[in-house]
Amino acid sequence: MRLLVSALFATLALTAQVPRLTDVQERRLTNGVRVLLVERRGLPAFHASLVFRGGRAEEPTALAGATDLLARILYASTWPEDLEGGRPQVALDALLKQEEGLLESLRLERLRELRTPGADSHRAALEAGLAAVQARLQEHLSPSPLADLLRAQGGRQSAEATADALVARMDLPVEAFQAWCRNEGQRLRTLQLSRFSGARAALVADLRDKAEPGPALVLGAALPGHPYGRDLADHLPTVEALRWSDLRAYARRSLSPERLTVILVGGLSLAQVLPDLEKHLGTLPIPLDREEPPLPEIQASLGDRRVQATLGSTPRLLTGWRIPPRSHPDHLPLQMAAQLLGGGSASRLPSHLVRQKTLAREVVLRMDLPGGRQAGLLLVELEPAPGHSLAELEAALHSEILKVQQEPIAPAAWSRALAQLEVDHLRTLDEPARLAWALGRAWAEGGDWRLLDLELQRLRTLAPETVQAAARAWLQPSHRTTARLEPSVADAQDPLEAEMSRVLLALAAHRVEDLAQREHLVAEGLRQLRMLSPDERRRTLKLLEAQLPPAKR
Amino acid sequence: MRALLLALVATVTLQAQPRSHTFTLPNGLRVVHLEDRERPLVRVSLLLRVLPSDTPPGRPGLALLAGRMLTGPGGPRTEAMDRELEAAGIRLDTTSAPEGLTWKLAARNREQDRAMGLLAELVLRPILNPQHLAACRADCLRDLFKPGANPADRLRETLAWDPADRPTEASLLAIGPEDLGTFQQRVFRPERATLILHGDLGPEQAKRLVILNFGSWPAGASAVVPAAADTPKALPAQPVLLPRSGPALRIQALAPIVGDLRPESLALLSLLVPGDPALAPLRATWEGTGLALTLDTPAAGGREAWALFFGRLATLAQRGFTPMDLDRARRSWSAARSLEALDPEAQLAQALATLAGQTPTREALGALTLKDLNADLRLWLDPSRLRVGAVGPAGTLETLAIP
Repeated sequence: MRLLVSALFATLALTAQVPRLTDVQERRLTNGVRVLLVERRGLPAFHASLVFRGGRAEEPTALAGATDLLARILYASTWPEDLEGGRPQVALDALLKQEEGLLESLRLERLRELRTPGADSHRAALEAGLAAVQARLQEHLSPSPLADLLRAQGGRQSAEATADALVARMDLPVEAFQAWCRNEGQRLRTLQLSRFSGARAALVADLRDKAEPGPALVLGAALPGHPYGRDLADHLPTVEALRWSDLRAYARRSLSPERLTVILVGGLSLAQVLPDLEKHLGTLPIPLDREEPPLPEIQASLGDRRVQATLGSTPRLLTGWRIPPRSHPDHLPLQMAAQLLGGGSASRLPSHLVRQKTLAREVVLRMDLPGGRQAGLLLVELEPAPGHSLAELEAALHSEILKVQQEPIAPAAWSRALAQLEVDHLRTLDEPARLAWALGRAWAEGGDWRLLDLELQRLRTLAPETVQAAARAWLQPSHRTTARLEPSVADAQDPLEAEMSRVLLALAAHRVEDLAQREHLVAEGLRQLRMLSPDERRRTLKLLEAQLPPAKR
Repeated sequence: MRALLLALVATVTLQAQPRSHTFTLPNGLRVVHLEDRERPLVRVSLLLRVLPSDTPPGRPGLALLAGRMLTGPGGPRTEAMDRELEAAGIRLDTTSAPEGLTWKLAARNREQDRAMGLLAELVLRPILNPQHLAACRADCLRDLFKPGANPADRLRETLAWDPADRPTEASLLAIGPEDLGTFQQRVFRPERATLILHGDLGPEQAKRLVILNFGSWPAGASAVVPAAADTPKALPAQPVLLPRSGPALRIQALAPIVGDLRPESLALLSLLVPGDPALAPLRATWEGTGLALTLDTPAAGGREAWALFFGRLATLAQRGFTPMDLDRARRSWSAARSLEALDPEAQLAQALATLAGQTPTREALGALTLKDLNADLRLWLDPSRLRVGAVGPAGTLETLAIP
């Protein structure tokens, strides 16, 4: 008894120390599903993350957008009709198949109309047919948002498609665990995707209004031909042509048990969760086609690449360096280098470029863009202060990088960077959703969730010389891609030039895959066209438009 | 011995649930302390409320500009202070929103004294330096009007403002140093502030920290100016129309939260409206400041899309909800309370909302009738209260008009 009391006292005392990830319990279910549980005794709720390794990077080009669509359809809600098997599912399947056929016919009819204007159109009949099928479909769908099984129990859910994973996140009261487990098993067995058409239309609309084209431009130029460099907005026709049955078949392959890690954080114990997890998720079938698609290697030394474009509302300089994946020994030193460069208001770039030299208005630094499983980018985005040019800013940035590589790192700067990383780690441990994502990300990117803890331990023993050596090896011109973005032509309030830019971009997108080359062609084309009179420009625009595929005119 | 064991087990079990204490300093500063000993971390949130009456006529954007001057370069947060914060691993963010200015910090428990000291330094000695007025004003103008920015983003940002309070270039240019001085005097007062402490510190420790750092904050000479009645203001008849090239039209509306809607109705409607099939193909999302409604459609049928947009809203408002919907929403809302335990930031936000009287009580929810709920739904979706706009080809936009 005395021993037990001592043990309890020890437990209490330990909570006051810096926590480690020793409280993560790991199990594998029969079919290969990994389970990580972080028990938080006393919490009346739990967070669950389902992390499917793969993500956008593993999508075949013909199925570009599939992961985003799965995030939106499969994991944005939990409708009872999507979890039912048997006869109701057969009826719903039949209607969804009909809807798919009509959507495809309508898409082709619209393309035909654009190609041959004035020809007989079947569009009205097809639209009427589609409306009738959708009305019948509607009868099978839940009539209220609170019919959503998760929301009805007070839960909330969201999902995200990243370059390396599809992540579904859910929060629920502890009492709902058993029902949640049953639903998740059923969701993956059924793969109903009943809201396919609405979600596809919403994704297309969102891609059209994509807010941040700058990083996508740099990624495309820095990682040409690699799925990491793909910009979904350039694949709108593919997304529009994606079919319900194709998506479902893709989901069966890509959401397989051995690609799934379930992470639970909350008031649940392993003894409590394992039987239900085994029963509902451990019995999910393993697909026959289990081969993981090979991803092309990314060459770090592609030469110093440059892009110049008119884009966005403000001038910006984006510089990205191809850096190794998270599993590489140089990744952690580079993370420290990134922290020293832009990890806080007092770090090198904001301090020197924004405060002291007042060359820049804003500095944003991002690591592992778009993911960390493969070689990604360390990206620095700078906005010049009024009166300063992008060229000045670029020279200043290069000079700061050189200083990090060559000059001794001040101990105060080092300890500031480390303190920031430590407190971030602490916050991660404190917030269940953040902890689950950090564990899931470490597994999806680095192959092991333990990286989350190991990396912090290694950071504490890292030497400044190691960081400088990694910065010299990776932050060098041959790994670099620079984009100079001047404010968009739309800003010039010249609709003709804006239209010209759109047509040229669409033409280039159709013929040139390399974004750097594409942007160069467009910029050059616009420069040439500015030399023509407005009438000549209008005529040229018409000629160019005629070369576009009908859907893009 | 058994009792001791039971007590210890109970302590371990209860560790995850923060205990709450509330107190008010003699100077009027309201404090909520949420004790959570799970990790050696302390979070603090300080909200300084800004009332509509703090902005004199003809000066919309004053609070925005003041917020910019507090957070931007040249503000009270010097490089030396940033170095000190970062050396101690303290994260401190300041944000400015229509309802007020907020400082949020997170620090390891061993740095709590220093963290609170730095927070107090920022709040108690705010410097709205007139020398930086021009630069901050230029930043505000640039952020607000963003020439060349994505029109869909601009529409969303424009709709977030009440048309009567939306700053214009003229109103921002009219703001002078004396306006900022008056604003500072009115707003930076303890009785306007609410301080929430969360994490690894006990009640006595929390009280000591607050008194030590904020006890000397002098109360204002006059009583707190009561909030102006938050009644819906007259809206301009014309929607916000932003041209863009391309074949698509987006119609968007924001149904803002206004004072005459019951908090308990809003809590339930935020569960019932987004995703209601009666709205399809409109997308409705609850955004904390209101309900955002979006319709994306080919630009060719602009007028029909406009009619469809308002038609769907009218259908839902007319149909209303059933007793079963009300019951389901109540159950869902109650069950969702336990989820706050998963997110410390949500606990801070919840504590603030509770103090501001914006959180419905279980009793009020129980007393809400279906008639009240549906009346509030109609009020909320009333087209004359919506902030509406569209982005699309100029030719299509010309055909649109508020029905």
